[in-house]
Amino acid sequence: MKNWLNKLTHRHRSLTLTDGTTTTRPLQFDWFYMLLILFIVVFFYQYIIGAYFEVISYPFFFSRVPNFFTILQAMVSDVNWAYFPQILDPLFDTIKMAFLGTLMGSLFALPVSFLASQNIIKNRFVSITVKFLLSFVRTLPSILYALIFAFVFGYGTFVGTLSLTVFTFAISSKILYEYIETLDMGAFTAIESTGATKLQAFTASILPQLYGNFISTSLYSFEINIRYSAILGFVGAGGIGILLNDAMSLRRYGNVSVLLLGLLALVLVTENISRAIRKRLN
Amino acid sequence: MIQFKNVGKTYPNGTKALQNVDLTIEQGEFVAVIGLSGAGKSTLIRLVNKMIPLTEGSLIVNGDHVESLQGKALRRFRRRIGMVFQSFNLIQRTSVLNNVLAARVPDMGFLRTLLGLYSKQDKLLALESLHKVGILEKAYTRVDQLSGGQQQRVALARTLAQKPKIILADEPVASLDPITANQIMKDFKRINEGENITIVVNMHHVDLALKFAKRVVGIHKGRIIFDGPSAKVTEAILKEIYGRDISDEDIMFKDEKLVK
Repeated sequence: MKNWLNKLTHRHRSLTLTDGTTTTRPLQFDWFYMLLILFIVVFFYQYIIGAYFEVISYPFFFSRVPNFFTILQAMVSDVNWAYFPQILDPLFDTIKMAFLGTLMGSLFALPVSFLASQNIIKNRFVSITVKFLLSFVRTLPSILYALIFAFVFGYGTFVGTLSLTVFTFAISSKILYEYIETLDMGAFTAIESTGATKLQAFTASILPQLYGNFISTSLYSFEINIRYSAILGFVGAGGIGILLNDAMSLRRYGNVSVLLLGLLALVLVTENISRAIRKRLN
Repeated sequence: MIQFKNVGKTYPNGTKALQNVDLTIEQGEFVAVIGLSGAGKSTLIRLVNKMIPLTEGSLIVNGDHVESLQGKALRRFRRRIGMVFQSFNLIQRTSVLNNVLAARVPDMGFLRTLLGLYSKQDKLLALESLHKVGILEKAYTRVDQLSGGQQQRVALARTLAQKPKIILADEPVASLDPITANQIMKDFKRINEGENITIVVNMHHVDLALKFAKRVVGIHKGRIIFDGPSAKVTEAILKEIYGRDISDEDIMFKDEKLVK
């Protein structure tokens, strides 16, 4: 085994050019070992962390797989088309929630990403504190925000919008400040040298470079938000998710399939619109 | 007038970039600062508008003590000092005109800056500036579509829109080809003579410095070792400034004779 490993890792390690020059690749931990470890873990996971996974023994897993198809069959065979008009309003609620949530979250993310960027705010205490707060916001799962907001404001689309705002804010701000930190600071320095404040220099030199990235990040969040709003409905945040929750718990699979088809259509439309806009941006 | 009085700069890591610099530059002069890279040319230029703060001595620019300027006073002071960079430092993904207009930002409110609502007066000033450097027809083109020389002209127009008394140029032609470099230097000369703007330019290429600047300041290891009219620069002086013989790398136009 060791010999075999050695052969593999030393393959083409030292190569000699025509004039006698020799190059040697340093030995390093590479993908091969990663794959090996991954393979071992996957293959023997039951023996490594067995106790926790006893439930999902192979026979049990395979004996339950057909149940999945029973539900799928129920959804396909008995599509309740008459239900369709009733889902239109919630569908629009979902769009509204996702749209407003994306808009507000993205707009809040802009000034905060400014404060979190180390190349603009030279005061490390400020940028690191802001970054820490942002990772804290990201740590809490969005569904938890929805639960908290539902507890505070009661059920409805407002709660959904608020949760999606936080969710969008959390991911957009991170993407934005990481992008700002890669930007060339030359223009910023130049505008600062004309006697502008940091905020003025940021607005005049960084924002125009950020514009494209900002729009495409927002569109991406919008796509995710549309899909995510379906889950939020399960905790009472309005939109199509509530109907989905009801239909699932009442086992009306015919309704479920109509809801899923509606959601699918919506996702496809938003994805295509968003792709078309992003294409024009580049 | 720019007055260095026994100025020194020591970076936080202990590097002494400049020592005992005494230098007086009158309004309207065209001064080239030459020396090897790492000699302290860039530091010298950046001290003038406090992009880098000095650590020893004092520096008086048009009556202001630069070392004591801070916050609002510093920003107000910077408005009359233009700066041109080796890498142009333009705002990408936006038009030439917007780049020049950025020089007016210090006078504007936040919302106007955010929405790009420049006054007609500012726009005219920006267009005039572009006209002065001969690229008015590119005003509505995106800067990333311009050549290097054109981009440097946009940067020059941007500083002109500041209505500066002084223009500091940090290796403005180092990343340009010889022909374009020559043209940019001509632009500097025209601006210097036409508008009585002081120009302090640091550069590596000796021939261009001698050709365009009336006065040359030579720096070697952070100290000024020559200061005089460019006509008085000799091979021996150059050798002292560069600490070695002048080689092809120090010259833009290799075929022309260096010192007449």
